[in-house]
Amino acid sequence: MANEVNQRGQAGIALFLLLLRPLLTFVATLAGASFVASALLYFSPGNAADVVASDPATYAGLVDKWGLDDSLFSQYTTFVANALQGDFGSSLVTSPGEPVFEVIQSRAPRTILLVAGAIFLSFGLSLSLAFWTAGKKTNLSAWRTWPVGMTRRFVQIISILPLFLAAYICMYSIDAAIYNQSVAQGLTPPSWFPLLLNTSGTKTALAIGVLAISSCSLTEIHTSCENELSRIRESDFVDAARARGDRAWTHILAVLIPTLTTLISSRVSFFLGGTVIVEEVLHINGVGRLFWDACLARDFPLVLGITALAATIVCSARLLGDLIRIWTDPRQRGDA
Amino acid sequence: MRRLFRWSFLAAACGFTVTTFATPLRYAEEQAPGIINPLFTTTMVEARVSELLFDGLYTDNRDLATTPALASNADVAEDGLSITITLRDDVFWHDGTAIQADDVAFTIEAMKNPKTLSTEAGRVEWIKDVEVLSAKQLKMTFVDVQHHPQDKLNFKILPKSQFDSSLVSRSHSFRTRPTGTGPYRLSSFNDDNSVTFRANDDHHAKVGISELVLREVADKSYQAKLIQYESLEALVRVMPQDIAELSRSRKIELYPYQTNSWWFMGFNQKDPRFKDVRVRQALSQMVDIENLLAPIGTGEVLSGPYVKSSPFYNHDVRPWGQDNYAAATLLEDAGYSKVDGVWSKGGKALSFTLTFHQNLETSQKVVINLQSQLRAQGVDVQIEALQEAEWKARIWRKREFDAVLSQWSFDRNEDIYAQFHSKGERNFGAYNNPEVDKLLDEARTAADPYEKKHALRKVHKIVRDDAPMVFLWTLDSYAAVSTRVRRVLIHPFYFFTYVGEWQMK
Repeated sequence: MANEVNQRGQAGIALFLLLLRPLLTFVATLAGASFVASALLYFSPGNAADVVASDPATYAGLVDKWGLDDSLFSQYTTFVANALQGDFGSSLVTSPGEPVFEVIQSRAPRTILLVAGAIFLSFGLSLSLAFWTAGKKTNLSAWRTWPVGMTRRFVQIISILPLFLAAYICMYSIDAAIYNQSVAQGLTPPSWFPLLLNTSGTKTALAIGVLAISSCSLTEIHTSCENELSRIRESDFVDAARARGDRAWTHILAVLIPTLTTLISSRVSFFLGGTVIVEEVLHINGVGRLFWDACLARDFPLVLGITALAATIVCSARLLGDLIRIWTDPRQRGDA
Repeated sequence: MRRLFRWSFLAAACGFTVTTFATPLRYAEEQAPGIINPLFTTTMVEARVSELLFDGLYTDNRDLATTPALASNADVAEDGLSITITLRDDVFWHDGTAIQADDVAFTIEAMKNPKTLSTEAGRVEWIKDVEVLSAKQLKMTFVDVQHHPQDKLNFKILPKSQFDSSLVSRSHSFRTRPTGTGPYRLSSFNDDNSVTFRANDDHHAKVGISELVLREVADKSYQAKLIQYESLEALVRVMPQDIAELSRSRKIELYPYQTNSWWFMGFNQKDPRFKDVRVRQALSQMVDIENLLAPIGTGEVLSGPYVKSSPFYNHDVRPWGQDNYAAATLLEDAGYSKVDGVWSKGGKALSFTLTFHQNLETSQKVVINLQSQLRAQGVDVQIEALQEAEWKARIWRKREFDAVLSQWSFDRNEDIYAQFHSKGERNFGAYNNPEVDKLLDEARTAADPYEKKHALRKVHKIVRDDAPMVFLWTLDSYAAVSTRVRRVLIHPFYFFTYVGEWQMK
C-alpha cells in the first residue's frame, strides 16, 4: 500500500516536472513577446500623438496624457501591472477610448475562423496525401510511380508560390467576370459581389485556402507526416496488428496523434502571423488587419494587447499540445 | 434553349437575382473614420463625414461665398470687435431638440479648452469670449478687429446636452453616436467597416437621397473598378490614370472641381546649403515642371503659393522655368564648381535627400523623375518615403529633413500665414523674410479686401523670388458620380457641402 502511494507521488512529481517546463516557457514567451513589441514601438519613429496632433500644443498635451514620454521600462511595467489585473488599456487612435479587449473581440471571430479553417485544411490535405505517398519510392523509369513524385513536387511548388498575389488577381478577375455576366444577362449581381469588398463565405473560403497553403505549412506537414507514417508502417506492432487481422490504420493513427499534436501546436504561430498579410491583401476585417493598422497608427495599447493575446494563444496551443502528447503517449508519462 | 437553361442554372447557382432594389448612394474612402467628432478632425475622411452630420453657423453657397447655415442673421459691431448672432428657429438636433445659443457657446468653449486637446482649436483662437444673450442669440467678442468674421464661423456646432463639460475627451462615446443638425444622421457602423447614414427628415432643407454609405476601399485603383461595376455611386477623387477609362463610361459622369491645393518641393533653410537663396533659385531652375507633371495627370504650373483661380495669385509673376545656364551661373556665384559632372563646394558634392509621404498619390513617379532630372544636372538626390507617424515626427515636429515633396491644401480663406510667416506653425522649412511677415500680418487685419489682395500678391512675388520651395502645380481634380445621381454640386474642399440637394433616380 505504502509502496503504491509512494509510486503515485513520484508519478505526480514527474508529471509536475514535465509540465513545469512548458509552463515556464509560456510565461517567458508572453513576457518576451510583449517586451519586444513594446521596445519596437518605443524605438520606432513617431508615436500616436504624432498621428493625431496637428499643432505642438495638442501634441504636448497628448504625449502627457498618454504617457508617451515615459521610459520604455516605465511604459512596459505599467502595461504589465495593468494587464495582470485584466486591464489591457484602451485604444488611442484606432478606436479611441474603447477597451483593447473589446476592439479585439469585435474582430476576433473572422480571424479565429481563418486560423481554424487553415489548420483543418492544411492538416487534412497534408495527411491525406501523406497516407497515399508515404513509403512510396519514385523512379523516373517506372511511369507508375510518377503520380507520387508529381504530388510531392506539386505540394512543394504550391507552398512557395506567391499565393496572396494570385488570390488578389483571382478575386479581381471574378469580380470582372461576374459584372460582365450580369450586364450580358440583365441580372442583378449576387449579394457577395464585389468579392474583394464584401464579407462573404466565398471570400472566407478563399482566404482559408491562401492562409493554409501560403504559410509553407503544406509541404512541411506533408513531409513530416510522410516520414512518420513510413516509420510507423514499418514498426513491429503494425505487422502484428496486420497478422491479427486488425485494421492497421487505427493503430497508425493512434501512434500518429502525438506527432500531429506537436505539428499543429507549432504551426499556430505561423497561421496567426499569416493572418496579417491575408487579411490586409484580401480586405478582411480581422485581428490581423487591425494589428497592421494599429502599428501604423502607433496605437501601442492595441498593439501590445494583440501581441499578448497572440502570444497567449501560441503558448496555450503548445501547452495543450504537450498535455495531449503526455496523455496519448505512454512513453512521455514514463509508464512504458 | 439549352444554352439559355445552362446560363440560368449558373446564374441561380451563383446567387444572381432579377430583383432590383433602390440602392443608397455609396461612396469610397481609403479608410473608415476612426472618430466622428468635429472637435478632433484630423483627416479629410473625417471632415467629409462631419459635413454630412453637422452644420456650422455659416457655410459656402454655390459661388463659394459665405452664407448663413445655423445663423439667421448677424450684426458685426462697428469697431469690428464683436458680433451678435441670432440662430434659426427651424433647426433641430438629430434627437429632436431645438438648437440653442448654449450649444454654440459650448462648442467654442470646448474647442478653446486646452485640456480638450482639440485639433480644431486654431479655428477659434481669434474669439475672446462668448456670451449667451437668449435661447437663440449670442454675442462673440474678438481678440482683435475682424472685418468679416462670418467667413471663419464655419466650424461645426455640437450639442451641449451630449457632454458633461467643455472638457471633451477624444474617447467620449459621442465619437460613435454623433448627434448633429446636418442633412444626414449616423445609422450604423457595419461589419465590413462601412458606415451607413440616413437622411435627416427633420433637416431644415429637404434631403434628396435617403441613404448614404461610406465604403472602405483601401486600393484606389480598385475604387475606379467598383464605380464601373455599379458597386459605388461616387468617388471623391479619381486617380489621373483612371480618368480616361471612366470618362468613356456612359454610366459615370466626371465632375471637374478646383481644389485649393498645390504641390511643392520645399527646402529646409536651417541647412547651410539651402540658406543660400542662390542655391534654392538654381535648383528651382533645374527642374522641368511640365515634364514632371505629364505622367501624373493634368494641372496648372504655379509660380507661387496660390492656385491660379485665387484672387491672391499674382499673374505678373512667372514660374521659374528650366534654365540650365542661369542655374549654373547661380551655383558658381554661390561658390560651387562642377567636378566630374557633379556640383561641389569645398570638396563636398551638392547632395540631398528628398523625403515624401507614402500616401501622397502618384508622388513616387514625381520623386523618381525629379531625382533623374537633378542628377542629370549634377545634383545628387536620394529619395526617402515615410509613413504618417514618421512623417509627422520627422518633418512636422523635429524638422529633420533636407527637402520634401509635399502638398498643401487650403479652405476658401487660403491663409498661408502658417506656412510662410516666420512664426507660422507649419513653416517647416524655417523660411524667414521680415517683409513677408509684415505683409501677412497686414493681410490678416486688412479691412479692405483690395488691401488684402494687394498685400498677398506682393507676398506671392517675394516668395517666388526667395524660392523657399519649388512651386510645382495644382492638379485638376475630378469626382466620378453615377449618372443616376442628379443635381450634383461639389464643394472643392469639403465635397459634401451641397449633398442635401443631390437626387437619385
